[in-house]
Amino acid sequence: MDWKAKLWLDFYQSFIEADRWLLYLKGLGVAVQVTLGALSIGVVLGVLVAVVRTFHDQRPPGRRSVVLGLLNLLCKTYATVIRGTPAMVQLLIMGFVIFAGSRNLVAIAILTFGINSGAYVSEIVRGGIMSVDPGQMEAGRSLGMSYATVMGQVVIPQAVKNILPALGNELITLFKDTSIVTVIGLRDITKVAIQIQSKTYQAFMPFFGIAVVYLAVVMALTWLLGILERRLRASDRR
Amino acid sequence: MIGVDKLSKSFGQNQVLNGITDHIAQGEKVVIIGPSGSGKSTFLRCLNLLETPTSGTITFDGTVITDPKTDINLVRRHMGMVFQHFNLFANKTVRQNITLAPVRTGLMSQQEADAEADRLLERVGLAHRADSYPVQLSGGQKQRIAIVRALAMRPKVMLFDEPTSALDPEMVGEVLEVMRELAHEGMTMVVVTHEMGFAREVGTRVLFMDEGKILEQNTPEAFFSNPQEPRTREFLSKVL
Repeated sequence: MDWKAKLWLDFYQSFIEADRWLLYLKGLGVAVQVTLGALSIGVVLGVLVAVVRTFHDQRPPGRRSVVLGLLNLLCKTYATVIRGTPAMVQLLIMGFVIFAGSRNLVAIAILTFGINSGAYVSEIVRGGIMSVDPGQMEAGRSLGMSYATVMGQVVIPQAVKNILPALGNELITLFKDTSIVTVIGLRDITKVAIQIQSKTYQAFMPFFGIAVVYLAVVMALTWLLGILERRLRASDRR
Repeated sequence: MIGVDKLSKSFGQNQVLNGITDHIAQGEKVVIIGPSGSGKSTFLRCLNLLETPTSGTITFDGTVITDPKTDINLVRRHMGMVFQHFNLFANKTVRQNITLAPVRTGLMSQQEADAEADRLLERVGLAHRADSYPVQLSGGQKQRIAIVRALAMRPKVMLFDEPTSALDPEMVGEVLEVMRELAHEGMTMVVVTHEMGFAREVGTRVLFMDEGKILEQNTPEAFFSNPQEPRTREFLSKVL
């Protein structure tokens, strides 16, 4: 066989035979599902942790309660442990130790990546909150609104706008990192490629193929984030 | 209305306020002047606890607000504050800036607050700006909105922290005009300013602060025509 025929055989066996392209599509669906689920958990967790830590740091040392101190310690430990261990190890621990009995692999993946992402998002959000002019909080408080109200209505919306590029980056990293869910046996798009490769003994097409898919999704996300960013900047322009 | 007793404030080793005692009565327009670093802004910011005093007590309408058990949010609803750098909420429109606090604190419904915002904007001639964002406004417009935002809470006293210091000279007048009207309506006002003309015209009492103390105080006429302390005379000779 000449090289063209070989390449065609690889392509045929990897994508067309037995409708294998459908498996990739399903695998991509799983990856997207895990990414979106994890991002939702990550953002909620990240904002909560960031608010606790900022609130703690902004209180004068004499006026911090014990509960606040403990919460702050908990948040700091969380960020240290999660950022200090590999995501794959966290996945192995969640899949084979903590939820060893569960077969709901998607939920395990979402939870693991959500907790993982929350640690990174919390630092991003914390930076965002600190970048908002302290005068905004002072003005809100001077009108008699509570810390939480001003945070939620004024400071965090402005912080989110400032950190959108960093959050977008987190989303993209998260999407690509979901490929390691193969270690707990979840059939995402990477797992599909591995399984097809082991069936057909063709490696080129499956692995380059999913590389192209990942790249295409990341480029689409970058484009969408650009649009969102421009819309949020509407209040910045004259 | 506001009682201040032996108020002191330090930032680390740096003592900014040094045992201030004063009483501000209802309807007074107290103007605080003094060199920079004399503690005038810190004094003003202590009155609504934006700065926590190191020692001393402050009472407002009979409530000891420096008591940690006092709910400061409730007290602040009666004390409006206007800042040097306006501090309008950058992510809100002008109307939202005005209605946010009255609605969120339960003082008004959204509908009532919107009506109040329109009325107040009309009064300062900015009704056409209700849907603009702060970044689209001039400094003078921002400061007039900031005053209106504080007024929407129907405060009993208004605190002004150098309200015209960050403005282009030609915009100072429009802001002082709003403050002058407010004074004529009988609002109790405490104003930190470098506008000596305003102090003389609108003030009922002038406090001169230096090194964290009230060095001298008097009616504007007496204060400007016949200052007692050498330090006051030196200051006035430089600014007048």
